[in-house]
Amino acid sequence: MGGTPQRDTARRVVVTVARTGGVAGTRREWRVEAPPADAADWTVLVTSCPWDQPAAEEPSGADRFVWEVRARLDDHEYARTLGEEALQGPWRRLVDAARGRGDTGARD
Amino acid sequence: MTPVSPLAGVVPGYLLARLARSSAHPRAASAARRTLVQGRPSSRARLDLTVDEAGNLVAGVVDAPDRTVHDAANTERLPGIVVRREDEPPVRDPAVNEAYDGLGAAFDLLLGAFGRNSIDAAGAPLFATVHYGVDYDNAFWDGARMVFGDGDGEVFRGFTASVSVIGHELGHGVVQTTSGLEYRDEPGALNESLADVFGALTEQYAAGQTAAEASWLIGEGIFTDAVEGRALRSMSAPGTAYDDDELGADPQPAHMRDYIVTTEDNGGVHLNSGIPNRAFATAALALGGHAWERAGRVWYRALQGLAPTIGFAGFAAATLTAAAAEYGEDPEVTDAVRAAWASVGVEPDGRNAAA
Repeated sequence: MGGTPQRDTARRVVVTVARTGGVAGTRREWRVEAPPADAADWTVLVTSCPWDQPAAEEPSGADRFVWEVRARLDDHEYARTLGEEALQGPWRRLVDAARGRGDTGARD
Repeated sequence: MTPVSPLAGVVPGYLLARLARSSAHPRAASAARRTLVQGRPSSRARLDLTVDEAGNLVAGVVDAPDRTVHDAANTERLPGIVVRREDEPPVRDPAVNEAYDGLGAAFDLLLGAFGRNSIDAAGAPLFATVHYGVDYDNAFWDGARMVFGDGDGEVFRGFTASVSVIGHELGHGVVQTTSGLEYRDEPGALNESLADVFGALTEQYAAGQTAAEASWLIGEGIFTDAVEGRALRSMSAPGTAYDDDELGADPQPAHMRDYIVTTEDNGGVHLNSGIPNRAFATAALALGGHAWERAGRVWYRALQGLAPTIGFAGFAAATLTAAAAEYGEDPEVTDAVRAAWASVGVEPDGRNAAA
């Protein structure tokens, strides 16, 4: 999974975000299937993320969230596990959008 | 002892000198002379003055916490601004006072039950940040401080509301400075379990509860009324803390045969911690009395110097070694610890048993 980002607008975009860990250890999942009219925006959100970039060194500490981010652009699948501290920039925008927080700037 | 003054090396020198010359109170004079000779403690301390049965004034210096609470003002910038320091009176913000009091309760457990002066056994200051993020559903230990979110108000309330959660986060600090257990898979679940042990014991120590009186819940009161659940976890009955339409059922296993293999949650560290959690609660309930006095002491001693990659079986063996060292003449303790691990399917000799 992952690989060369798709640059053309996908006809079908599905994004799934799962949040695990945290002191509560509860699992929450959000899934979005983009309406056709928004497919171009969602394609940009997905392809802007550095899916193949090596993971940053895990920070010290405990009870941080762990994020499983998955996306499907037509037949191309992407997947990445991120520590909470890595959820910045394009990752944050994609996850916030999937959680319905895209334009609010609100941060969990 | 009756604490009369919270002091941090600020007992006036003239008072110590005068006490040192006292003939009416020879023990206080001796204590004052020792303090003058040895110098001030490097960390914060409290002067306790009591009168013994013979009517002598007895002065003693005991370790004291050094707390600072910051406010992130609903940003994710740490540490935030200082809102309450040690010895300062309560402020109007309940989250600040809850964090301050919770850190004090956790410090009291470490010192009173284990003779440990703060996280590092050397009087390290305790730092907490409240109001982290927006609707942030979590509390965490970032390697140097405890950080608390306010919760989303729908599922979670603010995380400072639970003393066991605060004790849990401080417990991660103790684990970090003693064994540095890896935060993944079985060592990570053990790390989580030990943090829960410190969390539960903090709550029990503050309330003076026996093992039988304790709830053995972690995070009681963290859920809103909309959630069908009592707490985040149950140490005595893992898997029973909640069963809710939105959150699902508490997924914690209580036995090695139900160990969860997953890539999520750093390998299920908050899930499989239910197994050693139940072992601890079972041992403490079998021994009776205050859980921090025998079971807690055994677990605390076993934690010292663990290999960072140790699993449940290795830790179980360490608890048996610790029980024999602490209570060698009392087989009741060793027997209770061995039976507790057996009840969750963990063989202490290095093999995990799956019944």
